[in-house]
Amino acid sequence: MSSFFSWIEKLLGPTSLISFFTLTGLSFFYYKIPFFLVFIFIISSLVCFFIFIIKKNLLLYVLGRILEAFLTLFIVSSLTFLLLRGLPGGPFDQEKNLAPEIQANIEKKYHLDKSLTWQYFYYMKGLSRGYLGESYKYTDRNISDILKDSLPVSIQLGIYALIIAFAVGIPLGVFAARKQNTFFDQSSMLLSISGVSLPSFVIAPIFILFFSFYLGWLEPALWEGTLFYILPSVVLGLRPASIIARLTRSSILDILSHDYVRTARAKGLNETSIFYKHILKNAFLPVLTFSAPLIAGILTGSFIIEKIFAIPGLGQHFINSVTNRDYPLILGTVLIYSSLLILSNLIVDLLYTYFDPRIKLS
Amino acid sequence: MKGLFLALFLSLCSCFFTKKQSFYTNYNLKESFRYPILSEPPTLDWNKSTDRASALIIQNIMEGLTEYDFSEKEPQVKAALAKNWTNSKDNKVWTFFIKDNVFWTDGERLTAKHFLSSWERLLNPKTASEYAYFLFPIKKARKYNQGIIKDFKEVGVKIGKQGELIVELEKALFYFPYLLTHTSTFPIRTDVIEKKKALWTEAENIVTLGPYKLYKWEHDKALVLIKNDSYYGKAPSIKNIIFYIIPEETTIMNLYQSGRLDVATPLISRDLPFLTKRKDHYFHNILSLYYYGFNLKAPNLKNKKVRQAIIHAIDRKEIVQLLNRGNPISTSFLPQGLFAYNPKIGLNFDPEKARKLLKEIPPQSLPSKIQIFYNTTSDHKMIAENIQSQLKKNINLNIELNNQEWKTYLQRLKAKQVEIFRLGWLADYPDPDNFMNLMASFSENNHTGWKNERYDSLILKAMVMKNTNLRKKLYDQAQKILLEEEAVVFPIFTDVSHILISPRIKNYPLNVMSYILFKHIEVKQ
Repeated sequence: MSSFFSWIEKLLGPTSLISFFTLTGLSFFYYKIPFFLVFIFIISSLVCFFIFIIKKNLLLYVLGRILEAFLTLFIVSSLTFLLLRGLPGGPFDQEKNLAPEIQANIEKKYHLDKSLTWQYFYYMKGLSRGYLGESYKYTDRNISDILKDSLPVSIQLGIYALIIAFAVGIPLGVFAARKQNTFFDQSSMLLSISGVSLPSFVIAPIFILFFSFYLGWLEPALWEGTLFYILPSVVLGLRPASIIARLTRSSILDILSHDYVRTARAKGLNETSIFYKHILKNAFLPVLTFSAPLIAGILTGSFIIEKIFAIPGLGQHFINSVTNRDYPLILGTVLIYSSLLILSNLIVDLLYTYFDPRIKLS
Repeated sequence: MKGLFLALFLSLCSCFFTKKQSFYTNYNLKESFRYPILSEPPTLDWNKSTDRASALIIQNIMEGLTEYDFSEKEPQVKAALAKNWTNSKDNKVWTFFIKDNVFWTDGERLTAKHFLSSWERLLNPKTASEYAYFLFPIKKARKYNQGIIKDFKEVGVKIGKQGELIVELEKALFYFPYLLTHTSTFPIRTDVIEKKKALWTEAENIVTLGPYKLYKWEHDKALVLIKNDSYYGKAPSIKNIIFYIIPEETTIMNLYQSGRLDVATPLISRDLPFLTKRKDHYFHNILSLYYYGFNLKAPNLKNKKVRQAIIHAIDRKEIVQLLNRGNPISTSFLPQGLFAYNPKIGLNFDPEKARKLLKEIPPQSLPSKIQIFYNTTSDHKMIAENIQSQLKKNINLNIELNNQEWKTYLQRLKAKQVEIFRLGWLADYPDPDNFMNLMASFSENNHTGWKNERYDSLILKAMVMKNTNLRKKLYDQAQKILLEEEAVVFPIFTDVSHILISPRIKNYPLNVMSYILFKHIEVKQ
């Protein structure tokens, strides 16, 4: 049985990875996404995930976490629902005051004339069937349609930014640690501290000025193809990349002083294998901890980046829905964010057991 | 290893079969016009839409019985879908004859029935349309909207024997044809709506009849209109209109400068000193007024001498210079460019008089501090701060500034928990009644708590009159009560619109209503 599992794992593991990167590549070069590749990616990742769970004997644990997740989501949605009603101003308050009969018609249409308890149960009833309601601002549009249109864009941008964050952050941290206290170390840490501290609304205009107006290489805004994707992805990825670089560097330096590293050296292992086998794997744990909220935050979109680059993502809805008091849309965005946060936390917890087999989840 | 090969093979296959996406950047520039809108149109259902982005698109894919004509000094209307119209002697019954060569994009001919069903839908309480009030002048329309009347047949609209639309009004109303330029009154195909339900406004379902038709609508990203070949009128000269949804003014400017937009509007105030020198910069007044109001229910502002003194103590020129947008100052409650606008009405800057007025008030009843409320934006803040310093300097009055987020502010206004407040009004239709009505005792938008019978009767009398000198006199009298005798509101300036238009564009319509019909625009070859 276990040989069968490992055979499947060997087959599907790379399939999942390669299909993921192919999908990313295709979308980056503005090709239509082939449906069957998405299908392959989802199936192979799910199967790998299950095998991993079964092999590590974590099935019950994961089921428990999923139950917990539903409870959390229930509490989050109830709290949000109640807190929203405490906000001053209603969804249909506007500069031009409505005649009372028109106001009454609108409130009736959206059930705002009913009691709060009634509205709450009505909303929860819909939610249990997966119905998020109708937007107040975007007349006649379902919240799920709005999320379906905007979430993929944010995920796309988020994935580019995450790839940049990890592909730049980790090597930078590793090299800085290996060449500790050299010019390279100091300059890369200076760079990363500016990446952490400079907000994206400062970096974005500077990059636009330089890369699209001064050099003319990239497009200043919109979301229409490769040349349009690069600037927002870089700007969005810069901050996490810097944080990851600093985290990696400090945790490597921390581990360098551990006894087992000295033992490995005493055994006569060569420096490269000590570094990559013993140090790096362990040094990755803090980065992993940081990744969970990072992934959830970045995949659900960034308001500032989306606004500056006119990207039709989900991030804008987080802020605009609150400004508009569009209760169903606020609830929808909050639910999406919490689900992603819970999911990425679960995945990261599972990955701990991979990086450090001593960690036991139960 | 096998897995690796399999995965690589699959990926390669998919790369081989997939195509590049068609994209908005791939248009023929000579046939296209690219325009920024600040937000996604909340809906293209013209019975329900209320915002400017939606209206801009609807105006170009649809038409109403009438449309604006800006060739005269003051805005007029001319026939659009109506061939012509007549009105009865008492001006209460209007008959619209409908053009018989108008076809919808699905081939059906336009008839009066489409107007009737649109108006029924607009007024139906179940539609819950915010702009239902546009048809309230029609007999019993308001009652139908309130749900008092259940049968639409009782409402004063019917179809005549020759297929004309006969409208009976509650009161004589000369500006009634103006209301019919509004998108909410456009004809509609209820059969399409019944079939497609909420999705009827999507590009693949919508049925329209204007010079352009909706070709593509990618939510939050862009809308594309293309020329409607079955349009009854003169064919527009530009084939594609691309609306990009760009929520940030700086981004609009960046895209305009990189040649991806043909128009940049709105422009940021802080850029204006540089931009106004450019050849592609244009600016014009719009029928919109920026004003401060006094809440008469607030104890500090009950005394009208205090209010008059405050108005006399503020130099509007200073505010306008500070804003640096070229706004014309206004002492009148009617914006410049509207019938009955009278620059001589209203209280002027006169600090001497302000101080004198305050001296007439017993010192113990002088307010020690007054609060100004405004919603948080940098321009409103700048204006409020300037007024604060002017009042301190000119009449030694202490002002406390109080800024709030928009919806919170609106709630406070409604609850009358304000003292001095700021607001603006943009004309729904270019008639003075639209502005003067605001301060009537029966208006939902009168946040001052002021009621005056004389004012009410003057504007009700003027409302049903033709634009004559007499009407103007009535409005002058009403404004004198509002602005001078009672000093309830304090008009500051008329709004202006600044815009950059690419030199390759000809005939871009600039008008006081910011009413843009793209059918008139041409691209220089």
